[in-house]
Amino acid sequence: MTTTTPGRLAGPAPRRHPSPAGGALVLAAVLVTAVSVLPIVVVLVNALGQGWSEAVADVVRPRVWELLRNTVSLVVVSTSACAVLGVTCAWLVERTGLPGAGWWRVLLVAPLAVPAFVNAYAWVSLRPAMTGLGGAVLITTLSYYPLVFLPVSAALRGLDRSWEDTARSLGLGRWRTFARIVLPQLRPAVLGGCLLVALHLLAEFGVLAMLQFPTFTTAILDQYEAAFDTGTGSVLALVLVALCVAVLTIEHVWRGRRGHARIGAGVIRRPEPATLGRWLVPGVSALAVLVVLALGVPVYSLGHWLTTPGATVDGSALAAALGSTIGLALAAAAVTCVAAFPVALLLRQRQSAFTTSIERLCYLASSLPGVVVGLALVLLAIRWVTGLYQSATLLVIAYAILFLPRALVAIRTALAQAPGALLESARALGDSPARAVVRVVVPLALPGILAGLALVFMATTTELTATLLLAPTGTQTLATGFWAASSSLDYGAAAPYAVAMVLLSAPMTWLLLRQRTVIA
Amino acid sequence: MTRLVVTGVSASYGSTQVLHDVGLTVEGGSTTAILGASGCGKTTLLRVVAGFHAADAGEVRIGDRTVAGPGFAMPPERRGIGYLSQEGNLFPHLTVAGNIGFGLPRAERRDRARTAELLELVGLPVALADRRPEQLSGGQQQRVALARALARRPELVLLDEPFGSLDAGLRSTTRRAVADALSAAGATVLLVTHDQDEALSFADQVAIMRDGRFVQVGAPKEVYSTPVDRATAGVLGELVILPGHGDGDHVITILGRLPVAGADVTGAVDVAVRPEQVLIGPAVGAVGSVGAVDAVVDAVDYFGHDALVRIVLPAGPEGPAPVVFSRVVGDDAPTPGQLVGVSVRGPVQAFPHTVVLLAPTDPT
Amino acid sequence: MIRRLVPAVLAVAALTAGCGSSDEAPPLDPDKLTIYSAQHKNLVDAWVKGFTDETGVQVQVRQGTDSSMGNQIVAEGSRSPADVFLTENSPAITVVQDADLLAPVDQTTLDQVDPAFRPSNGLWSGIAARSTVLVYNPSLVSEADLPASMMDLAQPEYAGKWGAAPAGADFQAIVAGMLEMKGEAATSAWLDGLKKNAKVYQNNIATMKAVNAGQVPMGIMYHYYWYRDQALTKDGSKNTKLHYFKNEDVGAFVSVSGGGVLKSSKHAADAQKFLAWITSPKGQAAIAASKSMEYAVGKDQPSDPALPPLASLEAPAIDPFTLDGPAVIELMTQAGII
Repeated sequence: MTTTTPGRLAGPAPRRHPSPAGGALVLAAVLVTAVSVLPIVVVLVNALGQGWSEAVADVVRPRVWELLRNTVSLVVVSTSACAVLGVTCAWLVERTGLPGAGWWRVLLVAPLAVPAFVNAYAWVSLRPAMTGLGGAVLITTLSYYPLVFLPVSAALRGLDRSWEDTARSLGLGRWRTFARIVLPQLRPAVLGGCLLVALHLLAEFGVLAMLQFPTFTTAILDQYEAAFDTGTGSVLALVLVALCVAVLTIEHVWRGRRGHARIGAGVIRRPEPATLGRWLVPGVSALAVLVVLALGVPVYSLGHWLTTPGATVDGSALAAALGSTIGLALAAAAVTCVAAFPVALLLRQRQSAFTTSIERLCYLASSLPGVVVGLALVLLAIRWVTGLYQSATLLVIAYAILFLPRALVAIRTALAQAPGALLESARALGDSPARAVVRVVVPLALPGILAGLALVFMATTTELTATLLLAPTGTQTLATGFWAASSSLDYGAAAPYAVAMVLLSAPMTWLLLRQRTVIA
Repeated sequence: MTRLVVTGVSASYGSTQVLHDVGLTVEGGSTTAILGASGCGKTTLLRVVAGFHAADAGEVRIGDRTVAGPGFAMPPERRGIGYLSQEGNLFPHLTVAGNIGFGLPRAERRDRARTAELLELVGLPVALADRRPEQLSGGQQQRVALARALARRPELVLLDEPFGSLDAGLRSTTRRAVADALSAAGATVLLVTHDQDEALSFADQVAIMRDGRFVQVGAPKEVYSTPVDRATAGVLGELVILPGHGDGDHVITILGRLPVAGADVTGAVDVAVRPEQVLIGPAVGAVGSVGAVDAVVDAVDYFGHDALVRIVLPAGPEGPAPVVFSRVVGDDAPTPGQLVGVSVRGPVQAFPHTVVLLAPTDPT
Repeated sequence: MIRRLVPAVLAVAALTAGCGSSDEAPPLDPDKLTIYSAQHKNLVDAWVKGFTDETGVQVQVRQGTDSSMGNQIVAEGSRSPADVFLTENSPAITVVQDADLLAPVDQTTLDQVDPAFRPSNGLWSGIAARSTVLVYNPSLVSEADLPASMMDLAQPEYAGKWGAAPAGADFQAIVAGMLEMKGEAATSAWLDGLKKNAKVYQNNIATMKAVNAGQVPMGIMYHYYWYRDQALTKDGSKNTKLHYFKNEDVGAFVSVSGGGVLKSSKHAADAQKFLAWITSPKGQAAIAASKSMEYAVGKDQPSDPALPPLASLEAPAIDPFTLDGPAVIELMTQAGII
């Protein structure tokens, strides 16, 4: 004798997303993804084009071991240092009773507005003896630790105290709670930030060239300068791509698929801030030292060189470079964000094997260093699409490929503000699809889209490596103008270019702080 | 007053067929509720009628217009429907007034009188017109969404589980306000829900859907008292199942010889009784007893307005002691351990005996 | 839905990008004489001004580096808009010559130039020259300790005592001279020594400044950087002196800057006129006047008075035509320098 369970059944069916993608959308998204991955293909074809045995011979040279040693040691040491610095600073700012935490947050993120090669210039111009691994680690750590600091501090802000309360109630002390409860929660943020740092390091050119620390990137550019269209440069590029893929894989594996479930809705309750007590002064001093090193040195150095008498500043050249930079950056921002749209729209649809592979390919393309993209496009233009060679269009395409990942994240976030259900409501109220987009999606997504445009704009103004490879003769950007001057150790002439770049990318700090996720 | 006629609609998502040759008629000015479990296809049918999903086959007619047929489907914006989803989906970048006026022609959008009229229709104060959606409670948001949908005087209003995301307390007041507004507007309404209370109280016609097909369509009372099968009976409310033996138009159970609603039965049957049909009175033999069987009260769940009494009947020759539940008015609840007389009022449902798959559980 | 807007927005963006990009690189005016130049800007500007003042022919210049401009011309092939190609070192123009893109230079032009500074095939001409030098810091190394030959620098006793910028075309020209004179084996061995013992800098100026700052006692570079700096603020060279190897040593290699006329030129006559002008006495005098401190190569033409006479440098006699740039790259790659 039994009773049946009555009619109060489980919740409503899962929401389905809007109608499946139209053909034009799919085509556009596939095209964009294909172009993003194209550099790998071009480099591969060129590397193997000189013959398999030649390619292998190129790889097993002692030089390549030297480059590998340098590259790997730089990545490992610098990334670890950034991780430690980033987590410590984030903890100090978000979790302790640090006075002026709001200001510290801004100051600690601000170094991102100073391009790494400008930072290197600042240090080297004051202390020319700064060379080798030590110098490289110091400068890159100071430049890139905010990439870990930002996501970790965002993650710390989002942690509910209930986990820690539970752990304490089960007998864990303060430090063990931190180690066993908080740190694992921070893992995705730390790993994500470290991934960005590692990819930046693999792509780093300016700093390492100035410090005479050869890595794959500097070697590829040397090969290009010397021999232009060789397979050797492409082989080195392939090795570099392999390193990037390795880094992506390691991060993916370490991150795992464990999520953190939080049952029950409601407001996040912040944990009580830890009091620093006698650690207050050392803590604040340490942060101050970091800010002085990361921010103070570049500011001082730039100011010093700007005000040095006899600095030869060619005003018209600077103005021309500024004009070129802004023009290229505007074009790059527009093209990149438009290109990101179809992909973002496609990824909004229901998950399928197809959309997952698009997403994965874009993720892979996001790891390509500027030198690889630049080299690939040069080879492409030389061999097959000669009309594009030495054209600004090719450079803009390179920027679009390089910065598509940032635009994609921004546009996806922006579109998420206007979910499909809102569009359905609008259509039910009589708007045609286009009108619904204009009246509902655009107002809601616009702030995010503008943020995406701004981020790409600012990234373009400080891009060096691909620009060196692709800028049409006669076109100078702020970055290449700076590079030309600082290569001749003409620091006074380089300073105005550096200052212009820093000013143009300064708003990035504010945007990134608002955004809570690191796309850079 | 517009009539909605759905004929032979089949629909699928990808390769999975979700609706199988479904037909339904909603008379002008009336309300029909489609009741079913998650995934049964009811939302899909609603979206087919709304125009958000294309049917594979079949026809949808709103009034004298065919809006969907073989090979063509009118886009949603031209069907003249009102659509209210579970989350309300107010536009976050517009005020309440902006939301309400969204579907109106530009000239009418600024008409404060119309906005006030609509707010009053859904029972909201006019002062809310300049608020933003995030400043409103869930129930208020749903009502504004309804006002927005009604602003265009649609012929047909489609509601997709509109009260599901509201707190229990808000649900009934919002439901009443929405029902009043809809009847005042004279709209034809199609509601989709998984909540049987909602379906039974809100609608003039209840259609029960299972696995993409309608198993029973009829007035709430009819569906409730004469469900077509045991599963349907279970969807609409709590059931007490007793074994019994069919005897023409009666069944013989441990609680006596009970009249059967519906067709004659013979052989072993499962007898379904609603808890509110199980009466508790003084034990057999005591003064005023009307019970057929004496039994001991095992537990009482007191809900304030009513109480659910768990009674263990004396064990029969085969099987464990049967358990029945009785729903009584709160004041009349007995105490655990009390001996009471149990009887059944009214005709019962009898279904062919099926193998028991569910362990004994409480009905709620 | 949104997908209807996508093509429209793409079109708009393409238009804006197109408009934006066409502003960046000023398009070449097909009516002007087009010069692709890897020579230093101030010298080329002086030449252009003098030429235009005298002949009235309008000129436009694209500035670049030896390798990138040379390779650009080779890549552009017969479609290249270049009429004239000017280089800093000869390997770059040899590459263009080997791609069969150069038209023979007028004999009258060739006759103006010292035969030592032009290839025997007459496909291009020298336009200026520079000498390899050893720049050293007297406080760190005495004159007696300087190496007798540039080949000695590869020896272990000079480990860490000298620097160079091997990734640049300038140094590669010097190595090309060495290859021509000493052959592959010796050059290879020397490059191995460089890899082990020398400090690597970004370019010649960086090398000079490093010697000046005392970071390294000696450096190999071209002479004119030193003289230019000495003529200006002396900031980069006041602690340094120059040493000329002489004796037709490898280290006395004189690199010839080349000028050639492209076969595909649509202004062949004007191009030849330009080459003729810059190798004429007026053009060669402009080298000194522009303070570029490079050597003049015209017959009997004087260079800047601050420079030691070219003849006194005892440079080895090498036909500039024979310098093999790609082979040098290959050797350097094998040695692990690039």
